Amino acid sequence: MDVELRGITKRFGPVTANDNVNLTIRAGEVLGLLGENGAGKSTMMNILSGLYAPDEGEILIDGKPVRFEGPGDGIAAGIGMVHQHFMLVPVFTVAENVILGVEPTGRLDYLDIATARRQVRDINEKYGLQVNPDALIEDLPVGIQQRVEILKVLFRSAEVLILDEPTAVLTPQEVEEFFGIVKSLRDAGKAVVFITHKLHEILAISDRINVLRGGRITGEGDPKSLTENQLAEMMVGRPVSFDVARGPFKPGDTLLEVNDIVVLRDNDEVAVDHVSFHVRSGEVVGIAGVQGNGQSELIEALTGLMHVSSGEIDFLDNDITHASVRERHRLGMAHIPEDRHKSGMIGNFTIYENMVLDSYYEDRFSNGPNIKWPEVLRTAAQYAIDFDVRTPSVYLKADNLSGGNQQKMVVARELERVTKLVIASQPTRGLDVGSIEYIHGRLMNSRDEGDGVIIVSSELDEIMSLSDRVLVMFDGRIVAEFDAIAGPLDKNAIGLAMAGVAA
Amino acid sequence: MSDTTSQSSLTEKLLQRAAPGRAEFEDLVVVPIFAVIVALIVGAFIMLATAVDITTIGRSYVALLQGSLGSLNAVSETLTAAIPLVLAGLGLALGFRAGLFNIGAEGQVVVGGIAAVIVGFSMPGLPWIIHMPLALLAGAVAGGLYASIAGYLRAATGAHEVISTIMLNLISYRLLDYMLGLSWMQRPGRSDPVSKSVVSSAELPRLLTDIDPNLRLHAGIFLMIAAVIVVYWLLFKTKTGFEFRASGENPYAARYAGIRASLIIVLAMGTAGALAGLAGANQVLGVLDRTTPGFSAGIGFNAISVALLGRSHPIGVLFAGLLFGALEAGGRQMQVDAGVSIDLIGIIQSLIIVFIAAPLLVRAIFPWGFARPAGRRE
Amino acid sequence: MIHTSRLLGGVAVATALLFGSISSAAAFTACQVTDTGGIDDAGFNQTAWKGVEDAMKEKGIDGRFLESQAETDYEANLNSLLGGDCDIIITVGFLMGDATKAAAEANPDQKFSIVDFAYDPVIPNVLGQVFATDQGAFLAGYLAAGMTKTGTVGTFGGINIPPVTIFMNGLAYGVAYYNEKHGTDVKVLGWDPEAKDGLFTNNFESLDDGRTFAQNLYDEGADIVMPVAGPVGLGSAALAAELGTDKLKIIGVDADQYQTDTEKQNVYLTSVLKRMDSTVQAVIQQAMDGTFKGGVTVGTLANDGVGLAPYHAFEDAVPAELKDEIEKIKAGIIDGSIKVGG
Repeated sequence: MDVELRGITKRFGPVTANDNVNLTIRAGEVLGLLGENGAGKSTMMNILSGLYAPDEGEILIDGKPVRFEGPGDGIAAGIGMVHQHFMLVPVFTVAENVILGVEPTGRLDYLDIATARRQVRDINEKYGLQVNPDALIEDLPVGIQQRVEILKVLFRSAEVLILDEPTAVLTPQEVEEFFGIVKSLRDAGKAVVFITHKLHEILAISDRINVLRGGRITGEGDPKSLTENQLAEMMVGRPVSFDVARGPFKPGDTLLEVNDIVVLRDNDEVAVDHVSFHVRSGEVVGIAGVQGNGQSELIEALTGLMHVSSGEIDFLDNDITHASVRERHRLGMAHIPEDRHKSGMIGNFTIYENMVLDSYYEDRFSNGPNIKWPEVLRTAAQYAIDFDVRTPSVYLKADNLSGGNQQKMVVARELERVTKLVIASQPTRGLDVGSIEYIHGRLMNSRDEGDGVIIVSSELDEIMSLSDRVLVMFDGRIVAEFDAIAGPLDKNAIGLAMAGVAA
Repeated sequence: MSDTTSQSSLTEKLLQRAAPGRAEFEDLVVVPIFAVIVALIVGAFIMLATAVDITTIGRSYVALLQGSLGSLNAVSETLTAAIPLVLAGLGLALGFRAGLFNIGAEGQVVVGGIAAVIVGFSMPGLPWIIHMPLALLAGAVAGGLYASIAGYLRAATGAHEVISTIMLNLISYRLLDYMLGLSWMQRPGRSDPVSKSVVSSAELPRLLTDIDPNLRLHAGIFLMIAAVIVVYWLLFKTKTGFEFRASGENPYAARYAGIRASLIIVLAMGTAGALAGLAGANQVLGVLDRTTPGFSAGIGFNAISVALLGRSHPIGVLFAGLLFGALEAGGRQMQVDAGVSIDLIGIIQSLIIVFIAAPLLVRAIFPWGFARPAGRRE
Repeated sequence: MIHTSRLLGGVAVATALLFGSISSAAAFTACQVTDTGGIDDAGFNQTAWKGVEDAMKEKGIDGRFLESQAETDYEANLNSLLGGDCDIIITVGFLMGDATKAAAEANPDQKFSIVDFAYDPVIPNVLGQVFATDQGAFLAGYLAAGMTKTGTVGTFGGINIPPVTIFMNGLAYGVAYYNEKHGTDVKVLGWDPEAKDGLFTNNFESLDDGRTFAQNLYDEGADIVMPVAGPVGLGSAALAAELGTDKLKIIGVDADQYQTDTEKQNVYLTSVLKRMDSTVQAVIQQAMDGTFKGGVTVGTLANDGVGLAPYHAFEDAVPAELKDEIEKIKAGIIDGSIKVGG
């Protein structure tokens, strides 16, 4: 099935989200759709699935114009969406989730679960999805849950699959497996639209690439002949540098000394298993690892959010093993948390309030019980300028900012304090190329000014481009250490260590 | 040079407060006003349905207006009824801001009232300048401590405050029943549960008796105004208020920012309870002079509506409390003049809350009152 | 905003024009503040209001009432009647004693009358109406003792205040008198006249409490129960209707509840009448013809201010000799030869 969008324009009030977009989707082909956050990708896909009606232009399926009146029309015509956020019932099995809404029923509304399971198994085999139809969703890892979403649209006989940022939630290994599934779908004659802002992924999987910027198609090309730099320029509209500018490596005194610490999860499982390492001034230490191997818990223990069961943490010659979050802040620890929505900011607070979320009590912002709001406002505006937070006003609620600007707000707040050690957890997750470049530059600045920096990321490329030293965590332990100063890092060796293969 | 100028103008621009959004204005002002109107109209239909004739309905609404605003006595009654609702409502609003759903204002009113009446009758001879503030303070402290129990249970054990405050309400009722039977508390010569009366030095003096001895407005009104100002200051100008609001909006972020959640919970509960206790003390010292079973009269529950209607904002709570006070005072006149049951006022109050909670419904009924059509577009 | 205020203003003006001119047609207005049981409690408040209603019918006066929903309403309710044009304000209930006193002292020109309260010293503009209901309850107690099959009679009250406990006293003394006469040992549950303590619901509203308290008394062996708690007793009556009158009978109070609680009328063995309707009507008459004077009026068996209602459904079940005995006792109380209690 081929789908063509012709001259699609969609306006929301004064904002034109899609401006005369032309796009062709062909059977047996993976179309990569690249664009920054807010470039109009989601609007376009929502038009394709029938959620929005375009103001101008038309949609043609196999050359015939169609009109979608509502959200159900897209899937009825064979166009299926796999959203970034899964819509699954956790306590149902895979088969039950797949048939939800289109249950095969026998007489008297008898739910024919046996037929359902057989159909699910057939689809499974055909595309190599390898999902057990009887498993409960809540027991499945995220990567498998995503396959259930794909199963759902296949079960509804979709010929065109739209995958919205599908790799955002996956580990590197899962991404590899996922690409295998995408290829088998393509080879079976399905049309696949792969939406992302990750350049290397789109080059790896697409047969054809379209780039969207400001609601328009700004580039089209063949992945075989394009480079990441060219794509990034099309996407951002200016040349983008991937090489992080860094000063010479001049490590100073040891700032942080972690000595044999153990951290337990709520259910008493060992999350961090006798870990020791140190961080020096003027040094970036990257902590690599597949997500869920204890990195998050290690960071929470370092920042005081989780209890350390045994071992010791020294920071600037103070024993901070059991110190409060606030004491650590005061000593000069900055923390960019891994999930900004959950803990890094308060969406319903204004930008200026978020800018002082963990420094409002300092003397510069308060006087006795009172907060010096004029001072906070002035400072917040200054931070917003310094860190390129794009907003009409600091009175705006943080929720109204784009993801990249929210993250820049968090980074601004953390780095504008007097810092000695910057702990950045997934600092660029879900951000567009422009914001990533900016935040990386800022983190390197901190290093060059003599701060110690710890970076945790599930993006191995990010770790490798920033770190002076790389520690690899597996199953709660640090299993390998690589020195970037001595020579170039061996990506393959790090990858093996992440997978738990002893070096 | 030019760089610094452009920078400072950029700062200026960022510091421009976006014109108060039309949407915000509609949410805070227009929706409540329409909600009141719809509630009155639906109330009229309910009367019609219960075979009240049209002239009586008209007369009852005129009486509602007259009884709440129509005379000095009406205004005095409206204010008298509003004072405890605003005080307790402020406490609840503060709790809501901190993410605590305190159902226990009623119990805190009761405990505050008990403490105030004990101080009020047991220390005759004190000058009023000491006695009256002391009695008020006793009410606030008792209410605050009582609410802190729920706060402590939440912070230390995770027991949800909705459950524990409901239980504390029930305990407070029985505590009151029990205490009213104690010989040192019970009024001499009475076998029914009624406490001794507070002595005049502990009373909140009535303000307008020179004009007409029946005017009940008392000095509690100053207490109410002061409380609105203090709560506004606390919530929006202080570090503690910032911590309350941060914990309420996003407890994870508050913890990340180094705010001690358990301390905030106890502190917020305590402050909320102190305000409810003050409401109880205000009733005892300004209106009732004594305690009897049920003297709290549902103030703590009505205050939940007041806090919700006021969008948990001190100024909003003030206006919501005044509205509820007016409905109470006017409702009485409605019954006297038109013979319409006072229960109808309860229905209208509830309808207002329903319509405020369903702004889309109000927008649909009065499309011309709003700038944008109902429903959000992405 | 502008729309709304204009609209509101317009509506208010229009309605005021339409209805504002309507004023009371009658020359005399009697106003009543009820206690928390409400105007339709099938007893106490309703009986008092009946007095006003009768006066409205017979004398063409205007009547208004205001229901108290909580004890805290008393003063506010009185206050909102003071502003109006009430020629007499009648407050119903002992608990309103303080509020009525305060209002009367602040408004010496306003006539008040209060049911169930007698002021000492007398307030010149308040007439208290009190009732020797123990006389009626004495007869009911004697009847209950004669009718019980289990040998146990129960009672409970709303709040431990004199106008309530006087009923319970009368019942207990009536039972004791029967025991003395007949050498029986009928027990009274729920009230001890010596200790002045017993069962109280602590409210005059909850029908659920009425049901629970009656159930408890029934479980303890009582087959006749007298609830003295306004509408709370309706809950007890509902229980009796479910159990059947062979298991549980109710003695009504205040009004003849066979008449006022028509749905469950067959459960009432009799009712102890407290004729507030007649005293209220009499007070209104006095206020109208200028003979109103502060003080106390007492309703007794002798002046028909209290009494015992007919047996209605149990007319045939009550033995003739028991009926005769009760008539004799009534005469004895009236002429003073039989003392109630003490």
